[in-house]
Amino acid sequence: MTSPSPTPILTLDRVSKHFAGHTAVDELSLSVPRGVIYGLLGPNGAGKTTTIRMIMNILEPDGGAVEVFGEPDGGRAHSERIGYLPEERGLYRKMRVLDVLVFLGEMKGIDRRRARQQAEGWLERLGLGQWRLRRVDDLSKGMQQKVQFISTVLHDPDLLILDEPFSGLDPVNAQVMKDTVLELRSRGKTILFSTHIMEQAEKLCEQLCIIARGRKLVDGALSDIKRTRSGHHLVIGFDGSLGGAAQVFADKELVSKVDNYGQYAELELAAGADPQQILQRLVTSGARLSKFELQEPSLNKIFIDLVGPEAVRA
Amino acid sequence: MHKIWAVIRREFVERIRTRWFWIGALLGPLLFGVILFLSMQLGQGGVQTIVVVDGTTTPVGERITQQLDRTGSVRAVRIPAGSGVIDSLTTEVRAKRLDGFLVVTDATIDSGNAEYRGSNVFAGKTALQHPVEEALTAVRLERAGVDPRVVARARMPVRLETQKISRGETTQESAEQSFSLAYFMGIILYTAILLYGINVMSSVLEEKTTHIVEVLVSSLRPFELMLGKVLGVGAVSIFQFLIWGVAGRFLLTRRAGPLTPSEVGGSAEVFQVPHVSGATFALFIAYFLGGFLLYSAMFAAVGAMSSTEQEARQAQQPVAWMLVLSFVSMFALLNDPNSALAVTLSLVPFSAPIAMPVRWAAGSLPGYEIGLSLGILVMSIVGVTWIAARIYRVGILMTGKRPNLRELVRWVRTV
Repeated sequence: MTSPSPTPILTLDRVSKHFAGHTAVDELSLSVPRGVIYGLLGPNGAGKTTTIRMIMNILEPDGGAVEVFGEPDGGRAHSERIGYLPEERGLYRKMRVLDVLVFLGEMKGIDRRRARQQAEGWLERLGLGQWRLRRVDDLSKGMQQKVQFISTVLHDPDLLILDEPFSGLDPVNAQVMKDTVLELRSRGKTILFSTHIMEQAEKLCEQLCIIARGRKLVDGALSDIKRTRSGHHLVIGFDGSLGGAAQVFADKELVSKVDNYGQYAELELAAGADPQQILQRLVTSGARLSKFELQEPSLNKIFIDLVGPEAVRA
Repeated sequence: MHKIWAVIRREFVERIRTRWFWIGALLGPLLFGVILFLSMQLGQGGVQTIVVVDGTTTPVGERITQQLDRTGSVRAVRIPAGSGVIDSLTTEVRAKRLDGFLVVTDATIDSGNAEYRGSNVFAGKTALQHPVEEALTAVRLERAGVDPRVVARARMPVRLETQKISRGETTQESAEQSFSLAYFMGIILYTAILLYGINVMSSVLEEKTTHIVEVLVSSLRPFELMLGKVLGVGAVSIFQFLIWGVAGRFLLTRRAGPLTPSEVGGSAEVFQVPHVSGATFALFIAYFLGGFLLYSAMFAAVGAMSSTEQEARQAQQPVAWMLVLSFVSMFALLNDPNSALAVTLSLVPFSAPIAMPVRWAAGSLPGYEIGLSLGILVMSIVGVTWIAARIYRVGILMTGKRPNLRELVRWVRTV
C-alpha cells in the first residue's frame, strides 16, 4: 500500500463532549491521513459515535477543534465531499427507492440529474435495478442495507465516514461493503470507520485510533503499533506431551500472562524475560513442541490489553 | 438554499402522491356540504306532524290549524276535544307516529295560554309559537270588529334588507351571510391548522424513528430541515385550499340556481352562500399562514421530543388544546364580536388565527386592531419558532424517555 500523503484530511484537536452527568469524549486528538482506511476502535460506549457526530456537525463539541479538508468548519459544510453512514440506519419507508436516493443525493449537495444517474448506476451494480421504482417497504432488509450504502457513496465523496458499517449486515452484504470500501480506497478515497470488531479492523485498517471512555489509548499506523508491541508475545504449540509446561507458565519471572488452550498457548513475556530460557525449560521438562514462535500480537490482543477485559465485556 | 428547496419538494410531492391527499381534497368539500346540509336540517327541524286538539266553540281552532299548515314546516290535523283524546294522542306520540299535539280552548284567545305536548318540545315550540300567535292576533282583531282585509294589510310582513357597513363600504352581504362566513372560516381554520400541524409532527417523527434525520442533519442545519418541512407541508395545505376553492365555487354555483332563499324556509337562511371579498380572502390566508406557522413549529418540537407515535399523541395535547379552546370560543365571538373577550382572543397569538378572521367576518373591525394582532402574531411566530427549533435540534437525536419541562428548558438553553 502507498504511504499516506502528509496533509491530513481530517484532524481532531483536543475535542471534548460532555453530556449531563458524564464525559463522552475527553480531549481527543487524532489525524486521518489522506487516502487510507482509518479505524476508530473502541468498546461500546467508548465515544466513537459521539466523535463521529462531532465530525459531522451533528453535535457541537464543548471544546477543541475539528478540521475537515484543512478547514476549521466541520463536515456539514463539506457534505458534498463526505459520505456518512450512521450506525442507526433508516430510509423513508413509503418512498420509492430511486426517489429516496435522489433526495439524499440532493441533501449532499449534488443536483437531481446527477443524483439520478449515479443512483441508477449503483442500483444496477448492486443488483437492485429492477427495484428502483418499488417502495422501500417492499425491499428485504438486506436490500435496504444496500440502498443505505448507495446513499452514502452516490455523490462520489472523497471521505467516507462509516459508523459500525458491518453491524447488522448479512454475510453477503458485508462482503459487498468490504469490496466497495477497498475499491474506493484504491481510487484514492479516504475511509474512516468505527468498529468494535477487531478482526475486521485488523484486515482493513492501515491507520487506527483506539479509544475507551472517551480517551485515546493509542493511535498511528497498525504496523507501527504492532511492532512496538511485538517481541513479548509467544505462541507455543504442543505435540502431545506437555511435560512441566504448567510450572514454567506459572513462573512470574518469565511469564506475565498466559492464555492456555491445552495443546496451544499464548504467553505474554515478563519484562526482561528471555524467550530462549522458556524454550530450554520447556524442553528439559519433557514437553514436546510443534511450534515455538515469537509473534506480533493480534489487534484483538492489543485492544484487550489496552482497554482491559472489563470494558470489552460491556 | 438548494437543500431546503429539496426538503420542501419532497414533503410536497410525497404528500400529494398519497391516496389520502386526494380523498381529502375531493371529500373535503363534500363533507362541508354535508355539514351545511345538516345544519340546515337542524335549523329547520324537518316537517312535524301534529294534531290540534280543538276545545273551542269558535273557528279559532280551525284558524290555528290553517295557519300552522301554511308554514310548510308543520303538518297539522284538527281533532275536536273529547274524553280519551289526550290519552290516545299521548300513545301515538310515544309510538313516534306523531310529533306532538296542541291543546287550544276558548280561554286561549283571551289568556293566550295553550298547551303543547310532544316528543321534542323545543322543536315544537320553535315551530308553533309564531303561527299560533299570528292566528290568535287575527282572531282577536276580527273580534274587535276590524275588517279581515285591514288586518291582512296591517300584517304585511317587513322585508328587512340588511347591508353590512364594513371597511367604509357597503357590501351586499346579509347578516346571515356574515354569520355563515364567520362560521365556516372558523371551522376551516381550526381543521386545517390542526390537520397540517399534525402532519408536520408525524413527518418529524418519521425521520426521527427511522434515524434518517441523522444523515439529513449531517448535511443541512436542523433549522433548515425544520423550515423546509414546515414550508413543504404548508404548500400542500395551500394546494388543498386551491382544490377546495375551485371545487367549492363549482358546487355552490350549481347549487345557487334552484335553491333561492325564498324556497329555503325559516332559519335555513342562516346558511347562505357568503360573498367572499378579496380583503376577506387575504385576511383568511394571512391568518391561516400565521396560525399554521405558529402551531406547526410547536408540533415539530413535539414530534422531535417524542420517540413513538403514542408518546407524540400525548405530548401534542397541550398544543391541540390551545387550538380547540380558540375554536370553541368562536361561538362566544359570534355572539358579540366586539366584547372584551373577543378583542383579547384576537390579540393573543395562539387564538388570534381563528378569532380574528371570525370577528372580521362577523362585523367590522378597526384597522389598527388587525395591525396589532398581526404584529403580535408575527413576533410570536419568530419567538416560538426559535424555541421550537432549539428543542427540535436536540430532540431529533434523543432516544429514550420524553423530556420533562425542566429538561426542555435545558435543551432550549444549550448552545
